[in-house]
Amino acid sequence: MLTVQRLTAILLLFFCYGSVAGQRVLRWGADPSGGAPYVFTDPANPDRYIGYEKEMVDALAQAMGRQAEFVPSDWETLVSALQRKSFDVIVNGLEPTGDRAQQILFSKPYYIFQLQLTVRRDDNRINSIDDCKNRSVGTLANTAASRLLEQRGIPMRGYADPVAAYRDLELKRLDAVIFDVPAEAFYARNNPKLKPAGAPFTRGLYVIGLRKDDDALKAEVDAAIDKIIVDGTLETILKKWGLWNDAQVEFQAPIRAGKESAKVEEYTNTNVTFNWREALWRLTRAAAVTVLIALGSMVIAVTLGLPLAVGQWKGPAWLRGLCTIYVEFFRGTPVLVQLLFLYFGLPVIGIAMPGWLTALVGLGLNYAAYESQVYRASLEAIPNGQWEAAYSLGMGPLLAFRRIILPQAFRIALPPMTNDFVSLFKDTSVAYAISVWELATAYRELANASGQFLLLGVAVSAFYLAMSLPMAHLARLLERRLRDRATERVEEEAAA
Amino acid sequence: MIRVTDLRKRFGSNEILKGISFEVPPQTVLGVIGASGSGKSTLLRCLNGLETISGGTVEVESVRLEATLSHSEYRKRVKDLRLKVGTVFQHFYLFPHLSVVGNIIEAPVHVLRTAKKTAETEASELLEAVGMTHAARRYPGSLSGGEQQRVAIARALAMHPALLLLDEPTSALDPRRMHSLRALLRTFVDRGHTMIIISHSMGFLEGVADNILYMESGVAVEFGSTDAVMNSPQDARTKDFLSQAE
Repeated sequence: MLTVQRLTAILLLFFCYGSVAGQRVLRWGADPSGGAPYVFTDPANPDRYIGYEKEMVDALAQAMGRQAEFVPSDWETLVSALQRKSFDVIVNGLEPTGDRAQQILFSKPYYIFQLQLTVRRDDNRINSIDDCKNRSVGTLANTAASRLLEQRGIPMRGYADPVAAYRDLELKRLDAVIFDVPAEAFYARNNPKLKPAGAPFTRGLYVIGLRKDDDALKAEVDAAIDKIIVDGTLETILKKWGLWNDAQVEFQAPIRAGKESAKVEEYTNTNVTFNWREALWRLTRAAAVTVLIALGSMVIAVTLGLPLAVGQWKGPAWLRGLCTIYVEFFRGTPVLVQLLFLYFGLPVIGIAMPGWLTALVGLGLNYAAYESQVYRASLEAIPNGQWEAAYSLGMGPLLAFRRIILPQAFRIALPPMTNDFVSLFKDTSVAYAISVWELATAYRELANASGQFLLLGVAVSAFYLAMSLPMAHLARLLERRLRDRATERVEEEAAA
Repeated sequence: MIRVTDLRKRFGSNEILKGISFEVPPQTVLGVIGASGSGKSTLLRCLNGLETISGGTVEVESVRLEATLSHSEYRKRVKDLRLKVGTVFQHFYLFPHLSVVGNIIEAPVHVLRTAKKTAETEASELLEAVGMTHAARRYPGSLSGGEQQRVAIARALAMHPALLLLDEPTSALDPRRMHSLRALLRTFVDRGHTMIIISHSMGFLEGVADNILYMESGVAVEFGSTDAVMNSPQDARTKDFLSQAE
């Protein structure tokens, strides 16, 4: 009892000390992966984060009399993480879009950005966004650029960071990439394989995001933004990072003159509000991709699984060894890692498949390992007498296998195969990791854009069930048909 | 003519068949008897090519299997041998995924390339002969042991073998059915078939076999007409076995 009291006292003391002697903190969230020049890991010192926004937040916090504390997070879940109070403000080149305005509060703007279209150096087909009509274009999900592409009906692939997008452009998985100029300047401008297509276009604002009810903090942040603009701190930071330009001069002039800053509304040209019909259409497209990947990988798994099973079962020692290595490799490593390897690793040796094909092949190779074990167990379950009966009727090994052993093994294998294929349907969601627009990606991106996690979650689950339930039902019918053959007599007699 | 000469079979250093010789004239039945472990099942598996022989020869009509043949030539002749020899296994090994008719026409259609229609006509004739016409479309899982045996006999005969082997055909049968099986086998012999029946039931063989081969420890102890072996066995070991069996 005494120790508990003592412990409580110590804890209380600790907290009092923290709030009295320490400063108040400003916890800010951003995605540091591929986050240059906003906020990213210092290449010279991996324990440290650097970036112009990092320096800006430090300056803001100082102006607010607070201590800045960085909370690394995911770009796509920044808004929901803010609402869950993982941090108090989002500072990550956030654009004040209409759908975000329904979920969070915006500070005053602090930066004017433009967009830059990038293509491969040898590609002269695309010179502006108007040339992108039937091309595939990559960009960061949930940004001004992604909305612009949606508005114009240009097929868009959402990425979680610019590094992956520009690499896919190099590998010809994309025809063009659009990013905010700061990111483009850092990741693409010095790449000899890429070039800017046309001049920067569109103007947009970066603001700081806050929770809806956090008006007090918003007032504090707004005042601090004004302060670092007026005293030139922000200008110094932007100049240091090569981000100072005419647009900033134009934007900061009225504030420095003591007038009102630019209105958010003046820059809302990239607003897209959430639209259920559009969302369902995009989910349907995602479902089609999911079905394509699932069915395609099933075909690979079923056809490749059989030679693997037979090789491991009856093959010579070297073949058995090879098959075992294959099976243990694909069963023993995560399918996610396998997909990342196929997608990012294989291009090194000149094999660059598009994302959906990578997912299809990767899942197929992975599930072939599982199927081979189901087949092998089923084949081994067939009594040796069946082989001998077939041989003594003059059948060769191949004929006996095809006509006598395989059909019997198939019956045994059917229930576990069904099981695997239902789980394969769900496993297509790992294709999210390589930016394939399938159901899980669709859910994450649409829900993050709209905040409709619950309703969209129900819709996406319904899509998955609509695909897996009929398949399970079909398999049950087939099983019953096969079983009925053996028991029909029993039923006849029972009926009689 | 079916002729076995000095047939030997070794598993490692363990010799199971130690030089067996006998002949089976056409349209006769040879009964092979002996205690468990006497080597009679191994003899049957050498005759249908499921075991590779270690010495001697097996001749079934024009096919001559010799232990001294090269591996590829041996395999080729085993293939030919299996077309001449049909087997009814002790546990039948019907194909559970095929109907009764499917079991019977499977090999004729896929091995002999008989037209399916022709094979089906032959199958229904065979089913009638074995008294199983009513079960043509049923599956093996729904048949009794005796019914399965009749289907297995029809399946083996559908390949028109020169020699039919039966392994312990009485193990699944009660005395009444044993009697009807004996009658059935005799009708097939009368139609021109030649058989080797392995059994330890002397009573069953008495009414169906023309000749008897008594085996003990891999050696053919006694060979003669059924009548002679039953009533006046020459070897003391045969006498001993027969007295214990009855």
